[in-house]
Amino acid sequence: MQNLLDMFVEPFNRLREQFAAVVGPLFAMMVILIVGGAAAFLIRQLVYRLLVAAKFDRMVDDTGTANTILRTRVFRSPSDFGARLVQSMIWLLVVLMALYAGGQMTQGLVERFISYIPAIITATLVLILGSAISKFLARSTLLAAVNAQWSGARLIAGGVRVLIMFLTVVIALEELQIGRTALLIAFAILFGGIVLGGSVAFGLGARDFVRDWLREKATHPKGEEEDILHHL
Amino acid sequence: MDTFLSEDLKKSLAEIGEADIVVGIPSYNNARTIGHVVRAASAGLAQYFSNYRCVILNSDGGSKDNTRDVVLQSEHDVSSLLLVSSHKVNPIQRVSSPYVGLPGKGSAFRAVFAAACQLKAKACVVVDSDLRSIAPHWIELLAKPVLDRNMDFIAPYYQRHKYDGTITNGIIYPMTRSLFGKRIRQPIGGDFGFSGRLAQRYLEKDVWETDVARFGIDIWMTLTAAAEDFQVGQSYLGAKLHDAKDPGADLSNMFRQVVGSIFALMETYEPVWKNVQGSAAVPMFGFPFEVGVEPIAVNVERMIKAYAQGVNDLREIYGGFLSPATREELVACAAKSGDEFRFPDPLWVRVIYEFAVAHRNRAIDRGHLMQSLVPLYMGRTASFVIEMRDAGPLEVEERIDQLAAVFEQEKPYLMERWGASPQKEQSHAKPA
Repeated sequence: MQNLLDMFVEPFNRLREQFAAVVGPLFAMMVILIVGGAAAFLIRQLVYRLLVAAKFDRMVDDTGTANTILRTRVFRSPSDFGARLVQSMIWLLVVLMALYAGGQMTQGLVERFISYIPAIITATLVLILGSAISKFLARSTLLAAVNAQWSGARLIAGGVRVLIMFLTVVIALEELQIGRTALLIAFAILFGGIVLGGSVAFGLGARDFVRDWLREKATHPKGEEEDILHHL
Repeated sequence: MDTFLSEDLKKSLAEIGEADIVVGIPSYNNARTIGHVVRAASAGLAQYFSNYRCVILNSDGGSKDNTRDVVLQSEHDVSSLLLVSSHKVNPIQRVSSPYVGLPGKGSAFRAVFAAACQLKAKACVVVDSDLRSIAPHWIELLAKPVLDRNMDFIAPYYQRHKYDGTITNGIIYPMTRSLFGKRIRQPIGGDFGFSGRLAQRYLEKDVWETDVARFGIDIWMTLTAAAEDFQVGQSYLGAKLHDAKDPGADLSNMFRQVVGSIFALMETYEPVWKNVQGSAAVPMFGFPFEVGVEPIAVNVERMIKAYAQGVNDLREIYGGFLSPATREELVACAAKSGDEFRFPDPLWVRVIYEFAVAHRNRAIDRGHLMQSLVPLYMGRTASFVIEMRDAGPLEVEERIDQLAAVFEQEKPYLMERWGASPQKEQSHAKPA
């Protein structure tokens, strides 16, 4: 009789134990997320007020990066950006704590994530730096080309930006160890293709341009139509 | 101050002791022309300042063409040039030394300022080493107002071709006038006279690692004197002809160093220029006379093309800091070509003021900002050339005055836009 009873009770016990094993950590996760989220929100408010009081906006304005922050249209001001950055970091910490509290299954996830963090940080930095460099160099190219009165100045500048961004993405993905070989081959094919395509296009497409340019040089020697303004 | 002078120069100055007048000549590979400048300076000092203790100081940037030898060896006895032998002339000391610091005219001038202070000079004159039109009376006209009329700074006043000095006529002169209320016609002339007191003040500034050390020195000297209430005047020197070699031949660099310097000085002297209204003439010395000027060729079509391309290709860049109304007008101007093309004064003034505000706010990299002004300047210059094609010198001068008046009228617009951004820390805003 007892055995029969055990047969019925045992599954319920196991279910209760399993339920307790899941609900406990789940509850802990929920509590951590709610309390952590609230703490992150409060800390954001506090950091924002501190930054405003410390005239952080003006300091950032002096470095010339305020406009970049405002142009994202996500942040109201550099102080807002700073406060949200702190909030995001606290959120990340809270999520990791919550996952850690979630038992063995999620603990493994956290450990894998933590070991991956250096690669993510490096790749993010590479992307940010690459994006800034590509923008700066593209603008330098555009201005130099416009002031030299080259036609297709925007195309040249756009090409510079695309090339640098492509290179940046390849480096970032390489850092994340995603599709290493495929990326390397794709890059080699693409880069080789661009060089070859450019050479062929220039050879065929710019034939008339080169001919006209040489004719112009032959008939109008250098300096004949140059301005001799002394601008200063 | 000691660190601004090379060891050789310190030793030479110690041997000289004291001087009343120092004539500074910056140079870099000017062997071909500097001899003439040194002779003219020597003759000027002998003729007009025979009772003064005078020093000619060549501040050289490491010339490879014997510039310094030419300075030291060119004719010392100038009495034959002057046709005067009756009066006693104090011997004129000559020193040539490499300067220390960043390569550029500004570093060369810093050595002159430091030498003038060490020698306790009452007056200083600086003249370019590539001048072909310098005459002995230039030294008198630049130094005498300082010695006899208590002036602190004397700017040159040249007769120039109507198309010559378009950055001066279109930006630097009107800006100097509207910002500081002083009508200094050639603020970046390059040949100046100034007092020992002002040389001392220049040395106190911490600008020698900036563009001032290169080719922004001229506008910096003028604006510092004007903004800090030193006594400013100008002397009529006739025509300015100089060697074809121009160290700032690249327009983008010129804009960065000269126009960029004036924009940077607007931040330094913000409390000063915000309180200035209108403008007044400054004392004029010398006797104005008509001179022939060298003809200048201008390719207007190419300039208009450069303008149109700039307005089209740089629209995103301009969108970052120019107002929508200004951008619309720029596009409308680009639609016209040939003799129809015009760049109206109010638009040009707004462009310059909006660029000044963008420079202050660091809306984009400052080098890029200055580069993006070049096509618009081309358009403005083309418009000026078309308008003034048949005009005489007087008419051209009136036209430039008219533009300067618009700069003054539109100053409230500048202040309004400037005030919309946070204020910067001020430095060097008060005289010592």
